[in-house]
Amino acid sequence: MDRADVLVVGGGLTGCATAFHLARAGASVILIEAGELNGGASGQNAGSLHFQIERRFLENGEALAEQATRVLALNRLAVADWQGLQAMFDDDLEIVMDGGLMVAETAAEVAQLQRKVVREQAMGLATRLIGGDELRGLAPYLATTIQAASWLGSEGHANPRTIARVFARAAIADGVDVRTRTVLTGATKHHGGYAVDLASGDVATTVQADRVLLATGAATATVGALFNLHLPIFPAGLTMNITDRRPQFLPHLVQHVGRRLSMKQAHSGNVLIGGGWSSTLRKSPTGGFDVSRPPELQLASVQGNLRAAVDTVPAVASLNIIRSWTGIVALTVDQLPIVGQVAPGLFVAAGGSGFTLGPTFARLLAAQMAGSQPAPELAIFGPGRFDHLNGFMG
Amino acid sequence: MRIEDSVTRGPGLDILVDGRVVPAFGGETLATTLIAAGISAFRDDSRDRPRGLFCNMGTCCECFVRVTVPGRAARDVRACLTLVAAGMAVELARHD
Repeated sequence: MDRADVLVVGGGLTGCATAFHLARAGASVILIEAGELNGGASGQNAGSLHFQIERRFLENGEALAEQATRVLALNRLAVADWQGLQAMFDDDLEIVMDGGLMVAETAAEVAQLQRKVVREQAMGLATRLIGGDELRGLAPYLATTIQAASWLGSEGHANPRTIARVFARAAIADGVDVRTRTVLTGATKHHGGYAVDLASGDVATTVQADRVLLATGAATATVGALFNLHLPIFPAGLTMNITDRRPQFLPHLVQHVGRRLSMKQAHSGNVLIGGGWSSTLRKSPTGGFDVSRPPELQLASVQGNLRAAVDTVPAVASLNIIRSWTGIVALTVDQLPIVGQVAPGLFVAAGGSGFTLGPTFARLLAAQMAGSQPAPELAIFGPGRFDHLNGFMG
Repeated sequence: MRIEDSVTRGPGLDILVDGRVVPAFGGETLATTLIAAGISAFRDDSRDRPRGLFCNMGTCCECFVRVTVPGRAARDVRACLTLVAAGMAVELARHD
């Protein structure tokens, strides 16, 4: 039986980065991935580094907005992590942190931005509400209908096609045993850790690991069942669009407080347009959703997304959409990710903002799994808040 | 080269390609007109390599050319999806 200190399940950004940190700390690590590295949400998202409170936390009442404020402590750590990331690797990660704007068109939206900025400043995030000449000077590309924006100088974007792979390469160089096209088929408690059954094509093996990390995104509920646990994480299908290339004109991450929109111009000149527009999850023949297949594109989502983009940055109207694609994100009932120890030796990291927060989850989780105390910033993400679901399991 | 027998074409018209008059027929795509005129390099990529028609159905985006029609601003279009029109002016060899 193969043995490792840690088995990481999932070859996305969080899984690859955690494996990297654990190997650096001297742990023996096996990482398995059901498909290909970076094949899920880590590689399909639009690459936003958003550290302001997200719109999805603002549209469902004050209680959720208050909870979102507590995420900001982690966002502050994520700013520092992303700022230091490029120095760790030789590859060009295309990390741009030249600032981000969340824009408002109506008086009600401006008021909402004001409340948001107050929350953010109270948590030590250097967000500012700007309008008038300052906004026009900073972002001359914005539509004249944009009244104000909250500005955060450290926001930006990175290339989601690159980051997880660079972490994976470095992890392999540090001795991590990476096995793609390998699925988890069973797990039992074993010598204080777990004996985990794996299948790679027709080849079945068993790995014994002291600790296991599930960094499995939208598949986490299914994988959790193999450990006889409920991990309340739900898949949601989203849509992204990308235009043809243009000389750089959009240096910032642009989001909208009242509409589903995120946009930024990639290193290559293409403008990526997303912001949480839906796509339709495929159904499994036995019931439920099939998260192994890309969701079906909804034309109305593409149209709505582009309408929001053109209304916010009119120059986009002269660009051509060259590709639209769908991806699956993982959501929880309280919109907060689940990160931490869920059972003795079993850890989970999934659900929400996984690209922006992935490197930080990985760094903190690796330290926790290597034996340190959990970071206080992770406390509100602890799986313990769903212990009532697992009271009859075990 | 064009098929000449048993073909019904739209009316003949001229377009401008990099300032040169190129004959076309109403109802055909810009890509067809360019290929028929012996032009296979539609644009240069970011490494200065010539690119041209590949999928001919709007998916690969290799056939982008910059087009101006009278009364409208210049716009990059897929030559394979764009019908020729009288007075159309086409710019090739743009970098993407």
